[in-house]
Amino acid sequence: MQFQENELKAVLAKVFGVSADIITEDTSPDSIEEWDSLRHMNLIIALEEYFHVELTDDQVGEILSYKLIKLVLEENNITLASA
Amino acid sequence: MNYLSAIDTYEIVDVLDAVHKINASDNFNGFPVQINFLRNFTVEGIEPFLEYHSLSGGLQPSITFGNYDMIRQEIMDSTSHLFHDSPDLVVLAIYFDIYLPDWWKVEWSSDDVMRDLVSIYVELSKKTDAIIALNTFIPSFYPEYGIAGEAERHSSYDETLKLNQLIRKFVSTNSRQFVLIDWERMVRILGENDSMDYRFWYMSKLPFKSKFLSYYAYELTKITRALKGKTKKCLVLDCDNTLWGGIVGEDGIDGINLDPNTYPGNIYFEFQKKILKLYERGVLVILCSKNNEMDVLDVLDNHPHCLLSRSHLSGWKINWDDKATNIKILAQELNLGLDSFVFVDDSQIECELIRKLVPEVQVYQVPQRLYEYPVLLDRDGLFDTLTLSEEDSNRTEMYQVEMLRKNEQAKFESIEQYLETLSISISVHKARASEVPRISQLTQKTNQFNLTTRRYSETQIQEIIASPHAEVLSLSVSDKFGDSGLTGVIIATINEGVATVDTFLMSCRVLGRNIEVSFWLTAMKVLERQWGMCTWESEFIPTTKNQQVRDFWKNLNFTEVSEQQGKVVFEFLRTYSKPDSVPYIEINEE
Repeated sequence: MQFQENELKAVLAKVFGVSADIITEDTSPDSIEEWDSLRHMNLIIALEEYFHVELTDDQVGEILSYKLIKLVLEENNITLASA
Repeated sequence: MNYLSAIDTYEIVDVLDAVHKINASDNFNGFPVQINFLRNFTVEGIEPFLEYHSLSGGLQPSITFGNYDMIRQEIMDSTSHLFHDSPDLVVLAIYFDIYLPDWWKVEWSSDDVMRDLVSIYVELSKKTDAIIALNTFIPSFYPEYGIAGEAERHSSYDETLKLNQLIRKFVSTNSRQFVLIDWERMVRILGENDSMDYRFWYMSKLPFKSKFLSYYAYELTKITRALKGKTKKCLVLDCDNTLWGGIVGEDGIDGINLDPNTYPGNIYFEFQKKILKLYERGVLVILCSKNNEMDVLDVLDNHPHCLLSRSHLSGWKINWDDKATNIKILAQELNLGLDSFVFVDDSQIECELIRKLVPEVQVYQVPQRLYEYPVLLDRDGLFDTLTLSEEDSNRTEMYQVEMLRKNEQAKFESIEQYLETLSISISVHKARASEVPRISQLTQKTNQFNLTTRRYSETQIQEIIASPHAEVLSLSVSDKFGDSGLTGVIIATINEGVATVDTFLMSCRVLGRNIEVSFWLTAMKVLERQWGMCTWESEFIPTTKNQQVRDFWKNLNFTEVSEQQGKVVFEFLRTYSKPDSVPYIEINEE
């Protein structure tokens, strides 16, 4: 299934309560203070709900940067078109 | 299909989005509410949902969480922040697997566990005046002994059911401070799949899925809404295709569907049952229908299956005027705020009209899938109050009397002339123990004639009554039409010859008759007899609803001392002259 990359950024922005503009390829818990273990759970749920995927246990632990999230979504047959 | 319309929004991105939008809108001015969690598991996931439901209900929540699995420690710790930001609601959230991790290998008994739980409940209630929400536990989904039958063995399932029953009993006998969030019932409604999050349970001790958390948050919001006076009071119903199937003006009284033994009459019959239940809980029921009045009243009086009758109604507007105007007039006649109205109609056009022109009113359209109709008003709990007081069930009767009074009023030339004929008599006395629930309820529900809008739980009222430096006075009013019951409260404190009015409120039912002046003069007399001559201090704290009493203290000869952020302080020195007494009101003081 195809989505826009902006949609992914918007999901992260809403979950962490930050502006979508500050999200880059390198965004990770180190660069966003709001990305704590509790919000990480919200992120998992949000990704699964929004993109209609189900992440494996391994993937839940893996997606610790924007780049890795994209990778995992691709593994689940989600392609992201850049605007 | 989801019968719980309230939790239709549970996807996290939508919820966060909605919270963001409400917070960002300029005209949102929610009533602040402080909610503190004491918990033994990861419950933080509830936060966005609790914000969402609170904001949607007109409340501005502030939420804190105690340390993970430190319930007893937090209760014992007098420095815990949990009790210092004076919470309105303390949520005690206990998950059984963490509370009793050995449950699967020991023969535990519900009585022993309950003893331990009660000791927690009681300790907690000693530390806070806030309302405390308890939960029941979730019985195991699958039988421990397989098909071989549990009946003759000791099963955890069985003990959990017994324990839940004990918790329900505890809450109902301690309803002054405790309310129940019934997890067992919630799981029964949602099912295992939508409730339990086994993934995050094993990873992070968060046992619940979003739907359950949203439902949990909604149930908590019912409590805070009732606590902050956001409860709906009045149900306005259309008639054709709302109270019965079909159109009485065309199909005739014999042609409408209301027969409990046939479809779809049985649906409308079932809906009417629900209305009667709400009526018994004190909700005011009103008809608003474009119809010939005769046709509708004929159904109420003569249809063999029509449960609703004239005696259940606090009024009706059966005419061809637009319904928005009708509802506004009703609000005036009953002295109720528009935001305490719920409107039910089958027509999308009428529903849209009300949503547009009277957005304060909560609108429900009769569902397309008619079989979902009977539970429509049950699930959202909009009429819920914290306790059911006796006055609630008398309320419709009193409003009917109010309508009678209004009709008489039209016959007189001057209002004074009319008031003289009413034989108004008031009784002012120190609050009795039996009046505590009603007084607490009045502080929580009264918005318009309320000088300070301070909300008090029953426990807090009891404490004020017990204090040597404070008094609670209650007002009852009667006249030739009937008895309005306990309809006014004054709370005052004394400190070295200065008496301060903490609360002055009156129910809208008794306004417009200068009773407030007599109430004040009598209260002063009663209190000065006890405290000696005092200097009086009072306040007006403005809200969006109490503008009508802005000048109240001035009219009683108080002078303004200061104004800060809208809050105005007044004083009344010993040398000031008192306002004139009201000649046509008879006063009984006890």
